[in-house]
Amino acid sequence: MSSPPKLLIPLHVSYIQKLGESKDDLSYHLTAHLRLNAVYWGLTALCIMGHKDALDREEMIDFVMSCWDEEAGGFGAHPKHDAHLLSTLSAIQILVIQDALDKLEISRVVKFILSLQQPSGVFAGDSFGEIDTRFSYCAVSALSLLGHLHGLDVEKTVSYIEKCRNFDGGFGNTIGAESHSGQVFVCVAALAILDRLDVIDDQMLGWWLAERQLPNGGLNGRPEKLEDVCYSFWVLSALSILKKVSWIDADKLSSFILSAQDLEGGGIADRPGDMVDVFHTLFGVAGLSILGYPGLVDLDPVYCMPAPVIEAKGLRKGWQSLERRVSQD
Amino acid sequence: MHGVKRVRHTREALEAKKLREQAKLTDYLALTDDLLHRKQENDYSLDAFKLTTRLLQVNPEFYTIWNYRRQILIKGIFPEKQPREIYEYINEELGNTMAALKSHPKVYWIWNHRRWCLENIPNNPDADGLEAVNKWKSATWDREMMVVEKLLNADARNFHAWSYRRYILANTTNPRPEVTEIAYTTSKIEANFSNFSAWHHRSKVYSSLWTSGKLDEAKCKEDEFDLVQNAMYTDPNDQSVWIYHRWLVGTDSSAELLNREVRAIEELLDQESNNKWCIESLVHYKRMLLSKVDGDERERLSAECKQLLERLQTLDPCRRERYASMIKQL
Ligand SMILES: [Zn+2]
Repeated sequence: MSSPPKLLIPLHVSYIQKLGESKDDLSYHLTAHLRLNAVYWGLTALCIMGHKDALDREEMIDFVMSCWDEEAGGFGAHPKHDAHLLSTLSAIQILVIQDALDKLEISRVVKFILSLQQPSGVFAGDSFGEIDTRFSYCAVSALSLLGHLHGLDVEKTVSYIEKCRNFDGGFGNTIGAESHSGQVFVCVAALAILDRLDVIDDQMLGWWLAERQLPNGGLNGRPEKLEDVCYSFWVLSALSILKKVSWIDADKLSSFILSAQDLEGGGIADRPGDMVDVFHTLFGVAGLSILGYPGLVDLDPVYCMPAPVIEAKGLRKGWQSLERRVSQD
Repeated sequence: MHGVKRVRHTREALEAKKLREQAKLTDYLALTDDLLHRKQENDYSLDAFKLTTRLLQVNPEFYTIWNYRRQILIKGIFPEKQPREIYEYINEELGNTMAALKSHPKVYWIWNHRRWCLENIPNNPDADGLEAVNKWKSATWDREMMVVEKLLNADARNFHAWSYRRYILANTTNPRPEVTEIAYTTSKIEANFSNFSAWHHRSKVYSSLWTSGKLDEAKCKEDEFDLVQNAMYTDPNDQSVWIYHRWLVGTDSSAELLNREVRAIEELLDQESNNKWCIESLVHYKRMLLSKVDGDERERLSAECKQLLERLQTLDPCRRERYASMIKQL
């Protein structure tokens, strides 16, 4: 087997910079419902690669504020789209990274977020009421970033998450649902923010997470499924919160992520040879950061944001990534 | 984006593609602008409704348009309609979302819309008696089980479909006996032992049936151990079965049961020398036994665990550090 390519930082930076330039492309417009999330993915990937300034700060803040949904008091994914917790968290994450929270009417957003908690303790994504532990995470993370966790009914929030825990140690999206790495990340990270990791059976969950690694080095999201670069982040972030990143083979996973790069156009795909996108580019880079890849900035696995930003806000929890290696060249 | 192969296009091919898509793009952008504008103007007309159909056919992930579509139904269309007509609208929505799910079975927004439809079926005002009044509801909810089965036939691991199945079972007006779910998971598991979603569902259904006293736990478990053993012999490398076995043994089993399962796995290991899952499970159950014994017996078990863990470190190097930490804990 030939050794994997290095992380092509300049190429990925230019890939992310060019994402906004394809406005005459149909596929660009077909993903407008994810635009604000995509800006957050791109910005965070750039920060981790040490190129925060590759996108214009003012332009980005203006775009975020143009997605404000005045009626609901939250953010939609695009101007004139309805407010939703997913895009509201992305907006807050971007404003925090850009140190621009002063643009925000914080008390209104807090009210919007808290209004979505259901009697069972779980959160709905918007006023139409779809419930999912993903939305509990969005609410907990956003309130924490805004310094408003004190308004949250922590007991109720934790109690719903606890009911989503399965015998394998993992978590599902609702009560009774199968464990899934993405849901494991949101539940474990929400519990970490709320200082309630006692709810987790860390030996059982650590086992389940470690068994996500396949012989080719990649990680899958559930037993007997295929590997995918985005699970690098979801599985690794949970392992890092449990301080068990060493329970998988870091070298093999790094090679798998690196082999999913597009060596000509930049960006990272779900699997080697597939089309790249900004979502997998972030989660690939994020995974490499947790694995101690040389030259990257630390990623905070709880908030999926640059660690220095979270440390500056005094929000860092007790996670542990692999020590950053020194480049050999 | 998932599972889309990367193809390298020449500059000419890309230009040609853009040119071909130009008309589609112009149409899509005009339709989007028109609808978002109408939405802002609180236009709840039938015209607007039809336009949302067109847009959602092109982009079923446009959640704002799904929201708008429901608002049009609630605020513009339903208030002027008889219950029977509302019921017809809802049936049409169900038909549309089914078509959308066939090509986009993992889009959350479509599943949401379908749930909303089910929850908004009107009562039949011309009927007498509760059963007749609820007839539209029960007929539709009953049909949903067939719908979800079709989607699980297409992809037996689709977790949206499994969640939807649990949702239907929990909310339908004519609940089926829960025990029929056991038969359903049996058929799914027999078709493919690797289907952990089915094993998972089965564990939930059994737990519920045991708690409610509808089935006898001890008796069921004996049958389950047979099924699992059969699966282990069929494919000892399939982790679904081993995870389910761990659930079946549970956390507070007797030494007798643990010893019996240990012996069964050791027999399998004799045939499948160096099978990682056999060895890993042996360690797990022997560690559980450790807390139940003391003295020489404890020493012996602990030494066995250590030896098995050392074997695992060579056999399964990816997880070497986990095994090392377990050795330390002994
Ligand atoms: Zn993925």
